[in-house]
Amino acid sequence: MRGLTPSLPRRASRAPAFGRALVLGRVMTLACTLAGLLRIASALAQTLPDATSAPDAGQGAEPGFFTGLLAPSRTYLLNDMGGLRTSLGDVGISLGLQETSEVLGNVTGGVHTGADYDGMTEMSVGLDTQKAFGWEGGIFNMSALQIHGRNLSTDNLDNLQQVSGIEADRSTRLWEMWFQQSFYEGVADIKIGQQSIDQEFMVSQYSSTVFMNMMMGWPMLPSADMYAGGPAYPLSSLGVRLRAQPTRAITVLAGVFDDNPPGGSFYNDSQVRGAEAWGGAFNLNTGALWIAELQYALNQPALGDMAYGDRSPGLPGTYKIGFWYDSGFFPDQQFNTQGVPLVGPGNTGNPLMHRGNYSAYALADQMVWRPNGESPRSVDLFARVMAAPPDRNQISESADGGVVVKDPLPGRDSDSFGLGFGVAQVSSALADLDQDIALITNHAYPIQSTETFIELTYQYQVAPWWLVQPDFQYIFNPGGGIPNPLNPNRIIGNETVFGLRTVVTF
Amino acid sequence: MPPAYCRRPDPSRGARAALFAGLLTVLPGLAVAGDGYLDGIHHHTTLASTVPDNGDQNPYAIAIAPVSAGKIQKDDVLVDNFNDKNNLQGLGTTIVDYNPTSKNLSLFAALPRHLEACPGGVGLTTAMTMLQSGFVIVGSLPSNDGTTATKGQGCLIVLDAQGKLAGVITSPHINGPWGNMAVIDNGTTAILFVSNTGFGVGAPADETPVIKQASVLRLELSIPPGKPPAVIRETVIASGFGEQADKGVFIIGPTGLALGAGGVLYVSDAIDNRIVAINDAATRSDSAGTGREVSKDGLLKRPLALALAPNGHLLVTNALNGQVVEIDPQSGKQLYAQWIDTDKAQTPPGNGDLFGIAMTPHGEGFYYVEDDMNTLVLAR
Repeated sequence: MRGLTPSLPRRASRAPAFGRALVLGRVMTLACTLAGLLRIASALAQTLPDATSAPDAGQGAEPGFFTGLLAPSRTYLLNDMGGLRTSLGDVGISLGLQETSEVLGNVTGGVHTGADYDGMTEMSVGLDTQKAFGWEGGIFNMSALQIHGRNLSTDNLDNLQQVSGIEADRSTRLWEMWFQQSFYEGVADIKIGQQSIDQEFMVSQYSSTVFMNMMMGWPMLPSADMYAGGPAYPLSSLGVRLRAQPTRAITVLAGVFDDNPPGGSFYNDSQVRGAEAWGGAFNLNTGALWIAELQYALNQPALGDMAYGDRSPGLPGTYKIGFWYDSGFFPDQQFNTQGVPLVGPGNTGNPLMHRGNYSAYALADQMVWRPNGESPRSVDLFARVMAAPPDRNQISESADGGVVVKDPLPGRDSDSFGLGFGVAQVSSALADLDQDIALITNHAYPIQSTETFIELTYQYQVAPWWLVQPDFQYIFNPGGGIPNPLNPNRIIGNETVFGLRTVVTF
Repeated sequence: MPPAYCRRPDPSRGARAALFAGLLTVLPGLAVAGDGYLDGIHHHTTLASTVPDNGDQNPYAIAIAPVSAGKIQKDDVLVDNFNDKNNLQGLGTTIVDYNPTSKNLSLFAALPRHLEACPGGVGLTTAMTMLQSGFVIVGSLPSNDGTTATKGQGCLIVLDAQGKLAGVITSPHINGPWGNMAVIDNGTTAILFVSNTGFGVGAPADETPVIKQASVLRLELSIPPGKPPAVIRETVIASGFGEQADKGVFIIGPTGLALGAGGVLYVSDAIDNRIVAINDAATRSDSAGTGREVSKDGLLKRPLALALAPNGHLLVTNALNGQVVEIDPQSGKQLYAQWIDTDKAQTPPGNGDLFGIAMTPHGEGFYYVEDDMNTLVLAR
């Protein structure tokens, strides 16, 4: 996500305008598809014993592809890949292949209504150096992405907090490529190479794995305020990260990375510019992003911890605080180099540049209820807040939170239900600029404020390798309150979004 | 391949005395029940991946080699696999051998999926031991689809020290030989104890009934020089334990067996979440039913494998979390538990990971397997 200079026109939607009837038709189709898939998944799950005793699984028969298709022990759809996984595993190589596909559609609000399909294929290769050639504690990892389809947030919604965490420019790209070496029986490790820091920093364990909205993974604030959204999906940067666990409860993460994966200027940082089109810019010529995080694990067992029958183990939680500093230059959101607003006659369009940017954040994951210590059923709360200076940032504060219920229905141990929200506060400098526009043009102009969304979602784990997820989101004041580019006299209306995601692990 | 063996000659009094002598030899220090054992355990070291070249997964049983023979060195750690390369349960056919000195893991035995004399085929279970004569005996509870819907009766498989098939033991009393094998080994004779969890078990369902037909079988073996063990008597010494087919973990039933002082056999009764004792296990001629309850609930969370620590206490792995529990079998007191698997991929951590456990030869630590990671771990 990226803030827009007032001197630049807001990006026109690439999607054609749809008639309401067509839109409703699409939504109906989407709803039918959703219901149909859920029915199929449910039916398959209910017939598990029959499916596993299919004709090819009879006494004396050899198991085939469909044997145990939905068994709880089947991690991968393709199982052993005809022996490939085992052969590679013998030399320390692991393979990952996963497809995420989703359809999202808005039935109200937005620039216009409609539905989009998008998807992402993730491929990864890992190497355990000990198994490969006897080097203890080393892991090499390389991953690539194939991003396909269209983005509803870009096409229809023009909102800040994108409705899907996998929405990105279509491309086939290198993602991460790093080497990690652990020391002292895993008490500390160092990771060097091309890294996507959203995999380790600012992560809420409850929200990031359940919700679809981008904000629940890599938050809104760094998405908008860092160059190109920061070294986060689908981008990564060269850098070094240290992790240490001085006590069983405390973990320290600290790293320094290039702050600008594509290497362009702040307003020309496309994910597909130059060599970054395939993830190969390996830029080191801009600022440095320093980031550190302190994590505290509450009531979480460590190897060797003793448990006593007369003491309750307590409910587990994780608390994190962090800070980042970027040494690059960042454009002022209101004023140009002459100290006058970035709108009106005589505006050069060259914003005042600030040296450095920074932000602090805190997050909490806390289980608040479970029937007993051995049950997968639990109620978990999460919350995350962060702030950055308003003069050089589009988003000055963002917050998200919610509740996740695991094992929400009888016999659905691996399912999750989630209800969450996210709030993004547009910076006061941008709001002031909106007022400047109103003054200069002598016309009413909307003043950007906050954008809020709520999300209701259910993860139906058909089998360990197959997830089906219906989703609902409602976005209040999209974009923080910005004019609809198709109807500039009105701000973009509140958006009702339905979605269905499926994830298949091959 | 010898046929199923059912002869029942009476052992002499001398043989019985020798059996007790053997028991005392293999269980030093049993009478001493002093301080706890687990609070002296501080290091947990992953030793090796247990996946052999054919991709078998889910390490279950652990057996420590009492002698050097064939491919095996004394104190080697044998581990069998219950799942095949596609993670289908009841289709694993391999035993690997970890050498603590060289730190190398090698394949000891790779069995065919189907053995004519073993009803249903091969799916190696938590029942495994190595005898002083060099033979390895391992249980099979086979399936063709990863569930009990297609399970066979199974058998006990006898391997020579080269890992070659030397015999198969079947009997009407053997159905799904499942749990850890306890053994009294005198060289030319031996007594095996094994639990059976296959009687009357059908396909798993959402609410599979508990069947009270699981048993503990005592097998008295004769081991002539250069020949594989032959069964000379078999006696059901305990019966009526709960057993239940399960979609996730294949089957739930009595899994851990450990011999304690005074000829007592301890059994982990997973369904009833307790440890029970079978008195006079080596000599009784009838079934003790489900025995005498030693300890129930508390820190026990579906107890699986059992081992006897040098202080005479029982170490019990939990199926439903990553803990091993220490119990004084004399008083039934649960001292405490230790987290030996904290994998957060499961809830609670380590849930469903722990199966086999075996003391190191000198008792300074114990080996265990993490079946989600397919690894052998040493705690000391």
